[in-house]
Amino acid sequence: MKLYYFSEMPHHEYPDEEGAKYPSLRLAFPNRFFDRQKAAANYRRYLEEYELADQVGFDGLMINEHHSTPSCVNVGANMTAAVLARTTSRAKLLLLGNILPIEDNPVRMAEQIAMADLISGGRVLSGFVRGVGVEQWWANANPVHNRERFEECHDLILKCWTEPGPFRWEGRHYHFRHVNPWCLPLQQPHPPIWIPGTASPETAIWAGQRGYTYVPFLVPFDIARELFEFYRQGAAEAGRTVTPDNLGFLICAVTADTKAKALEAGRHFVWRMGPTLRGPVEWFSPVGMRSRAGKQFALKARPRSLAGMSYEELLAERFIIAGTPDEVAEGFALVQRELGIGHLLLEAQESRMDHPTTMHSIELMGAKVIPAVTPL
Amino acid sequence: MQPREERISVGGIDVHAWVGGRGAPLLVLHGAGANRGWLQWIERVAEHYTVWAPTHPGFGASGDAEWMEGVDDLARFHLWLIEAAGLGRPHVLGHSIGGWTAAEMATMSPGSIGRLVLVAPTGLKPETGEILDVFFHSDAQLRDLIVHDPATVPEWPQLFGRPPAPADLEMADRNREMTARLAWKPYMHNPRLAQFLPRVTNPTLIVWGREDRIVPVECGEQYRRALPDATLTVLERCGHLPPIEHPEAFARLVLDFLGGAA
Repeated sequence: MKLYYFSEMPHHEYPDEEGAKYPSLRLAFPNRFFDRQKAAANYRRYLEEYELADQVGFDGLMINEHHSTPSCVNVGANMTAAVLARTTSRAKLLLLGNILPIEDNPVRMAEQIAMADLISGGRVLSGFVRGVGVEQWWANANPVHNRERFEECHDLILKCWTEPGPFRWEGRHYHFRHVNPWCLPLQQPHPPIWIPGTASPETAIWAGQRGYTYVPFLVPFDIARELFEFYRQGAAEAGRTVTPDNLGFLICAVTADTKAKALEAGRHFVWRMGPTLRGPVEWFSPVGMRSRAGKQFALKARPRSLAGMSYEELLAERFIIAGTPDEVAEGFALVQRELGIGHLLLEAQESRMDHPTTMHSIELMGAKVIPAVTPL
Repeated sequence: MQPREERISVGGIDVHAWVGGRGAPLLVLHGAGANRGWLQWIERVAEHYTVWAPTHPGFGASGDAEWMEGVDDLARFHLWLIEAAGLGRPHVLGHSIGGWTAAEMATMSPGSIGRLVLVAPTGLKPETGEILDVFFHSDAQLRDLIVHDPATVPEWPQLFGRPPAPADLEMADRNREMTARLAWKPYMHNPRLAQFLPRVTNPTLIVWGREDRIVPVECGEQYRRALPDATLTVLERCGHLPPIEHPEAFARLVLDFLGGAA
C-alpha cells in the first residue's frame, strides 16, 4: 500500500471566538483576520514539511485547493505543484485536485498540469474534483451546471492531452475555436487521473467506467465499501478489472514518540471535522449541485456529521489515527484489510499542529511506518 | 368563479396553466417562488378579464427546460405561448422574475402585448443597494424577508401556514433550480435590458412595496424613468409580494389601470 502526505495548509491564526461570531468560517469570516506575516511564514513551513515527506519516502504528496476559508489557504493546487516539482525529487505529486466545474478555461488548466508534469519529470497524478459548494460561490459558478461542467471540462482537458491540435471545441459550457496547446504532459497518454468522493454514487460509477483511481474522503468503512461497489459497477459496465491500485482512502493521521504525545497532536484534526465545516447548507450544497440520488446517499453516508463526534469517537471510527509508529502502522494495516485499497492518503497536519511536531511525525512515518506498510 | 387547469404545448414543452374569468385576456407570469394558483387578487381581476396564469417551464407542473439559460429565453418562450394559446394581444402582468420576463417580452415584441403591469420586477441592477441573494439564504430566512408583516397577509395561513409536505419540498427544489438556471449570473438582472426599455411605449403600471427587502424599491424608479409611458405606485406597509400582502388594493390598482385600455 502506498502512503501519501497531505496538508491543507491551514491558516488557523486568529482568535477562535472571532471565527465563531460568523455563520461560517468559509465565505463569511472577514479576511481582515488574515495575517500576512504569518501566512508568509506558514507557506514556507508547509512546503518544508512536504519536502521532508518526499525525502523520508512517502510515495506521494497530496495537494488540494480551497477558497475563501482559513481551513485551507492553498488557493492554487497547480501553483503548489509547480513549486514542489522543483523542490522534491521522488514522490508523486497528487493534485486532488483541480476544481473543474468552476474553471472557465480548461485549455489553460491542461497546459498548467502538463507543465507541472514536465518540470517534475512525469510525477503528476492529476485529480479532478467537483468541489464543495463554497467554491461555487467563490467563483460565482452556477451550481446547477456543476456536473455538466465537470464532465465537459474533463473531456476538453483529456482531448488537449491526447489529440493533436489544432482543433475546435464547441460544447455547452466551453467554446474554443483554436485549441493547440504547446505544452503537453510528459506522461503518455496523460498523467493518471484520480477522483475523490464523499457521497455521490454517480461520481463513483463515472470514475469506475474510466478506470480512474477513486478515493473516498473521511467516510465510515461501510459507506466506503458501498461507494467502491458503485465504482465496481461502473468498471464492470466498461469491462474493466478493479485492482487495489484503483482504490484509495483518506484519513487523518499523526505519530509521535509516545502515544500520549500523538494523541495530543491528533486533537488538532478535530478543527477540520467541525468548526471548518460549520455553515448554512445553502453555502455547502447550493441549489442544484447534487442530484436526488446524491442527496439521498449523502443523508445515508452521514447519519452523524463529523462535527457531532467527539475526538474519542473520531479515533474509534478511524477517521483519525494517532499513536506510536507501531500503533499507526497497525491502524493503517487495518484500514487496508477493511477496504482492500492500494493508496492511503494521510492528512497529516492540521489546525495549530506545530512545525516540530509535524516534522517529527513525518520523520517517524518515514523511518518506521512506511517500511511496515509498503509491503501490504 | 372556479378556474380550470389547461395544458398548452409550446415548442414541445407541456405547459401547465390556470385559466379562468371573463373578458379580454390577461397573461399573469409568476415569480420565482411558485405559480400559487387562484389567489384572492386574481379572483377579483378575473371578474373583468380572462386570466391565463401559466407555470413557467421547469417550475411546478410544467415540463422541463434544462436548455434555458436566461430570462430572455423565458420571454421568447412566453411570446410563443401567447400565439400557441391563441391569446391575441393580451395584457401582461408579471411579478418579480415574472415581471422581468414581461419587461423582456415587451422589449422584444411590444406589438404582441397590450398593457403591461410590472410588480416588483427584477431585471435591472439597482443603482443603490442590491437584490437579495435568495440562493444564499434558507427558506426560513426568506420567509422572514419576503413580506412586510405576515400577520396582515390574509392568505398567509393557506400559503405558508402549514409545514410543507415532501412533495412540496421537492417542487420548491425544482423551482429554485430553474430560477438558478434563469438568473444566477448576472444575478437577477440583464445588463442590456435598460437599453431596450425605451422601445416599450405600451402603457405600463409599476407596483412596488415600500418595504421590499428582496428587490429595492429604487428599482421601480429606474423602470419608470426608462419606460416612456409608465407610472409607479408604491404601496405602504408592503414587502415583495404586493398581490398577496394587499390583495384588494392591488386588484383595484390593476383593474383601474387595465380599464383605461378600453
